[in-house]
Amino acid sequence: MNPPRIVITGLGAVTGFGFEWQGLWSDMLRGRHCIRPWQPEGVSEGSFPVRYAAPVDWQRLPAYLRSHPALAGELERRTRFGWLAASQALADSRLGYAHWRDVAVLAASGAPQHSLDDMQLAFADGETAPSWKSVMRHAASVRGDASLRQSSDRLARVIADELGSAGPVMNASSACAGAAQAIGNAFHMLRRGECELALAGGADSVLNLDTLGALYLLGAASTETRRGEALCRPFDAGRSGLVAGEGGGFLMLETLEHALARGAKPYAEILGYGSSLDGYRLTAPEPEGRGASEAMAAALDDAGIAPERVDLVNAHGTSTPLNDRAETLAIKRVFARDQHYRQLSVAANKSQFGHLIAAAGAPELLVSALCCREDWVTPTLNLDEPDPDCDLDYTAHKARHRRVDIALSNSFGFGGLNTALVLGKYRSDAS
Amino acid sequence: MSFSFARRPQAQAAIALAGAGCVLATGIGSAALWEAACAGRSGIGPLQAKHFRSRRIAAFGHVGEAEQEHCRAALPAHLLRYAPPPVAWGLAAVRQALAEAGLEPQASGLRFGLYTSQGGYTHPSLDAYAELLHECRAGNELDARRLAARVLQERALDPFLVLKSLSNGLLGIVSLAYKLEGPCGAYMQGVAGNHAALREACAALRERRIDAAIVVAAGSELDALALADLARAGVIAADGATDFRPFDRAGRGGIAGEGAAALVLRRQADLAAPEAVCLTELHAQAQLRGLASAQGGCELLIASGWARPEADRRLAGSLARFAPRHIGNSQALTGILSGAPSLADLVLARQALQAQRVPGIAGLQEPVSPDLPFARASRDAPLRQAQVLNVEGNGFAACYRLERLPAPAHSTNRITL
Repeated sequence: MNPPRIVITGLGAVTGFGFEWQGLWSDMLRGRHCIRPWQPEGVSEGSFPVRYAAPVDWQRLPAYLRSHPALAGELERRTRFGWLAASQALADSRLGYAHWRDVAVLAASGAPQHSLDDMQLAFADGETAPSWKSVMRHAASVRGDASLRQSSDRLARVIADELGSAGPVMNASSACAGAAQAIGNAFHMLRRGECELALAGGADSVLNLDTLGALYLLGAASTETRRGEALCRPFDAGRSGLVAGEGGGFLMLETLEHALARGAKPYAEILGYGSSLDGYRLTAPEPEGRGASEAMAAALDDAGIAPERVDLVNAHGTSTPLNDRAETLAIKRVFARDQHYRQLSVAANKSQFGHLIAAAGAPELLVSALCCREDWVTPTLNLDEPDPDCDLDYTAHKARHRRVDIALSNSFGFGGLNTALVLGKYRSDAS
Repeated sequence: MSFSFARRPQAQAAIALAGAGCVLATGIGSAALWEAACAGRSGIGPLQAKHFRSRRIAAFGHVGEAEQEHCRAALPAHLLRYAPPPVAWGLAAVRQALAEAGLEPQASGLRFGLYTSQGGYTHPSLDAYAELLHECRAGNELDARRLAARVLQERALDPFLVLKSLSNGLLGIVSLAYKLEGPCGAYMQGVAGNHAALREACAALRERRIDAAIVVAAGSELDALALADLARAGVIAADGATDFRPFDRAGRGGIAGEGAAALVLRRQADLAAPEAVCLTELHAQAQLRGLASAQGGCELLIASGWARPEADRRLAGSLARFAPRHIGNSQALTGILSGAPSLADLVLARQALQAQRVPGIAGLQEPVSPDLPFARASRDAPLRQAQVLNVEGNGFAACYRLERLPAPAHSTNRITL
């Protein structure tokens, strides 16, 4: 018996472009970006070495979302973004309330956001070993929207609670591959028949002092200023590090049978998922991209798709010197037969909305799904002078109209974890 | 949504627990856990916290100092800076589990998958931050740049603070230590995280994407604000209780613990052993009431409890649906684990099946429900199967079924260990 086909029937995204996926898609096709000058709260102007990011602009919040429960109560930014994106995907899927309980929830939400002010609260009396009474008194003063009072699986829980989901409820925790892993796990669970509906994705915000400070000190975040807002330049010779974004993305996945039975219209079909470990270093990719190519090959094998059928690779493309070179080598290895890598379009969405860290894989898969549906490839911005080691067709500067039947979306993470998802154009006549 | 292997005829490959390991308050190794369980000897002791003092939170299931040192000393030197204590415990647990399974990943020729779950220790740690926050104060303000430099450039602190040790630090460290390159998954927190890791590992084995799965979980809540929140939520006692007495009328609330546990899973058909303890079902629900009751009764149920008599009485109503012959518990030995609650219980249940012995519940004197067979003392008993039932403060519940199964007659592809 053939396994069920799994389709995407609802989309939701919150990025620097705004709170709706439609705006994200149209802005991306127009070649826009949402990278802006940025400094973290709590530091004096110009003192923090990372100067640019792609923050979510609350001014863009549509009126109809202003009463959303994600905006009330004590929640971290990442949880608010994720909950809004999940609600969008749910609404977009037009899934009736009667089915909500049947929706599995798989989320990734990255590193907790916390406030150093809060960290100091417990020691506000100047004690090196404060009493329990002191701790409890100050604990009550800790900001509820920071992580000291948030659990890491809060995003998954709030979405599951809103739906009244009977489960499964999962919280993936795999750094920059988190959302892709959540979606991949959801795809496999659906295909195994463990559920018929799944809301999967992730949300993250590293736009705070300590997390972005850590990325800076690890050498991952770019500190250049001479490029201005054109700082994120995947595969360009002048790339200098990642430019962080924030936001979230969720997709409603379901079996085709279930989708058709309720009259839903698929955006695209998920065909395969693969993961691998580098086993190399904790904070750097294997330089030849072997782990990355293993993940891509595993995803294609899972999908039963020959590499020659792939039209688009939505690259992890972080704009870091190490990743982009290694990923190029990985793509060349996977698509080596007949030099198919010369026929591929490659795109790097991070040049447009930054690196959403744990959430990155979700809006990028969403974009890949739209590429399949609309036969467009989004551009890689700022690719003015390609790195000689990066010699693929990265769709520089401008979106391109081309047929996209099969797309592959990469997400790699610190810890040496690699994931890839294979998408296909939805065809009602496919078997 | 429940997931029973038995419901899917095409996927009946029994998954054997080929090896187990743990680092808990009871010591290092599943044998230490089992000995403590049989002796009714809890590993919970006085709370030892460096950066706060309390008479109300008086006890904790600490991993002992000697065990901590042992685990840290066993870490490869190049990984030391990235491995906070729970990660070091996790790696030690993996090492034990692999040894018991007779496997060395690089030499075995098998395809390994790695599935991890971390507890709440990736939250910012006041213990870790406190000294530097004091040191990096400039008047009433914080010199954030100096703080960041001290943390990351100078490695001034517990490497916990390197990107919170990475939210998948356990996955990264274990993969580096064993040069693993196969499929993987990393999950966060408690019962749900353990369940997700086990679920994906079993699926990868059944679909033959891998030949062996390492499932490991680790965590610690030894942190002032984390404990404060657990106390506020009623998960742990805040009245000076020094012992943890789940299912006892004299229970005064929970006590937190820390540690790691690991399992190596294999397809039973690939093993040469004539019999193996196999994971035959796993179920999870957002709520306990949604869990399906076991078919055919339950010989031994290892269940988590609250140590709050009223809550335990209500929980007992759910336990009764499993129709258990014996009920055991591991938390009284280890404290409530944020990282490896289910894995620790599975290690204990596996030991019970192998030893044909029911472990008593440490400290249990007067059960909340006299009608249920809570095990007050250890005793020999014929056991073919056992179940593990975990319930968490956030409502998430999971259930696992272990069975001693003879090797399948049609077994092929066997590997002699």
